[in-house]
Amino acid sequence: MKGKVGIGLRRDIANEIIDSEPIRPDFIEFAPENWMGIGGYWNRIREKAVSKYPVTCHGLSLSLGSPEELDWDFVSELKAFLDENQVQIYSEHLSYTKSKNAHLYDLLPIPFRKDAVDHVSERIMRVQEALGRRIAIENVSYYTPVAAEMSETDFICSIVEKSDCRLLLDVNNVYVNAFNHGYDARSFIDNMPLDRVEYIHMAGHEKVEKDLIIDTHGRPIIDPVYDLFEYTIDRMEPVPVLLERDYNFEDLESISAELDHLRDLIRKKWGVVHEAAQGNA
Amino acid sequence: MKLHKETRDIQHRLGDYCKTGREVSLPGVTEGRIKHYRRLVYNVVKNSMDQAYPIASSALGTVLWDELVNDFFSNHAPRSTQIWKLPHEFYEYHYSKNTATKLKRAWLNDLLWFEWAEIEVHTMPDRDVLPYNEEGDSLVDPLILNPEHEVLQLEFPVHKQSLVDIESHRGEYYVLLYREPETGRVRFIDLSVLHAFILMKVNEEGIPLNEFKGEIASIASIESEKYLDDYLRDFMGNLMEKKMVLGFAVS
Repeated sequence: MKGKVGIGLRRDIANEIIDSEPIRPDFIEFAPENWMGIGGYWNRIREKAVSKYPVTCHGLSLSLGSPEELDWDFVSELKAFLDENQVQIYSEHLSYTKSKNAHLYDLLPIPFRKDAVDHVSERIMRVQEALGRRIAIENVSYYTPVAAEMSETDFICSIVEKSDCRLLLDVNNVYVNAFNHGYDARSFIDNMPLDRVEYIHMAGHEKVEKDLIIDTHGRPIIDPVYDLFEYTIDRMEPVPVLLERDYNFEDLESISAELDHLRDLIRKKWGVVHEAAQGNA
Repeated sequence: MKLHKETRDIQHRLGDYCKTGREVSLPGVTEGRIKHYRRLVYNVVKNSMDQAYPIASSALGTVLWDELVNDFFSNHAPRSTQIWKLPHEFYEYHYSKNTATKLKRAWLNDLLWFEWAEIEVHTMPDRDVLPYNEEGDSLVDPLILNPEHEVLQLEFPVHKQSLVDIESHRGEYYVLLYREPETGRVRFIDLSVLHAFILMKVNEEGIPLNEFKGEIASIASIESEKYLDDYLRDFMGNLMEKKMVLGFAVS
């Protein structure tokens, strides 16, 4: 899947993806929590999609950053689901979605602190051991830091290093966070362990206040995010790239065009590198 | 535990704020930004309940419905890793809190249960089906039912009547919900007490109708055997057309 472009399997566009008309991804990604243990119509759709495309999964409820113990029953169900669907990459968010054992169903920011690094790293290692695979953790968008004692880049780099996991680099999230917190997105990319990136996410977002962007996945990717994507992939080896779109599916042709534009950028950067490498060999 | 108590407390306080909306003071946050977490978290939960309970939410009205969702999310710790199951916890919560009585809407429990059952039947895992023939005799051969179904016993006819004067119709009602095998759509059928008894007996005991025809005749006060046979064949034939009865057990 390296250098390939995928899209999230959402129910609103599932048939268009399965029929490859008008959306033609190279692979699909879905959230296990939305498809585990269900039957009927949507189970058949999942089976069709999985038989047609390579699959990655992006989790929602593992809650790697929670203070409480991991839900090992869930991890066990997750392992069976990942195996059954021959999932090639499994990723989760570097955040917490559960507090006092109550699921909150959205991504809360973990304090950037040394004890949190140790705590989360240990949990990632235990999950990796239970799943029998390395996982990729995603840099999440956040709207305020909370009780931070270190930089975001140090926080992410330390966890990746300590837990020996992979990184899902969400380029849109880097852009969103740089805007919201007033830092330089390219410097942030320069400080990421790009040799550990297994996967890239791209998405659209929404500016809700003059100084605040919310990561909505509901709009087309904007040009500055494409620019940051080009800057990023110029500095790393090919990996799969996913277009995240969670709603606003009225204009499927434009979503298809976004996939094609990502392919063009990838061909320009990674395609040339590959051809040159092959020529030298 | 590698996490310090202070960090854990900060995380819990943010979590509590997202659940309740009650103001919180947290160190090192950007002014005016925390509110977006409460808004985003609460919207996810509210949308989930709105989609699961379109009839109940409309019947109660925006203000009261929002109070119910807020009360649930503030005081209950959601257990499910899958948000589509959260509406069931909402139903259980308000059932246990006796909300229907407190609000003087006695029909609320039935309505929430009925709306949840539609989601559950639509989404439940595929169940195994015993081998069956499409040809057979519905009185003599054991029937194979569509396994993806539920029979609900209700106090109010929320499945077939407007809520306007429903409280004057308190009684004993049965409704069958099942999933069409080809389309995955959920259908529901109003059942009489007798029909509910027959379906539950077939489902639980897997015996031919002939073996408990006497019981059926007694409940329905039917004396003519021919009338009873025709009645049962019609009932089962109708369920077969609707794909609630799949066929006849392979002997």
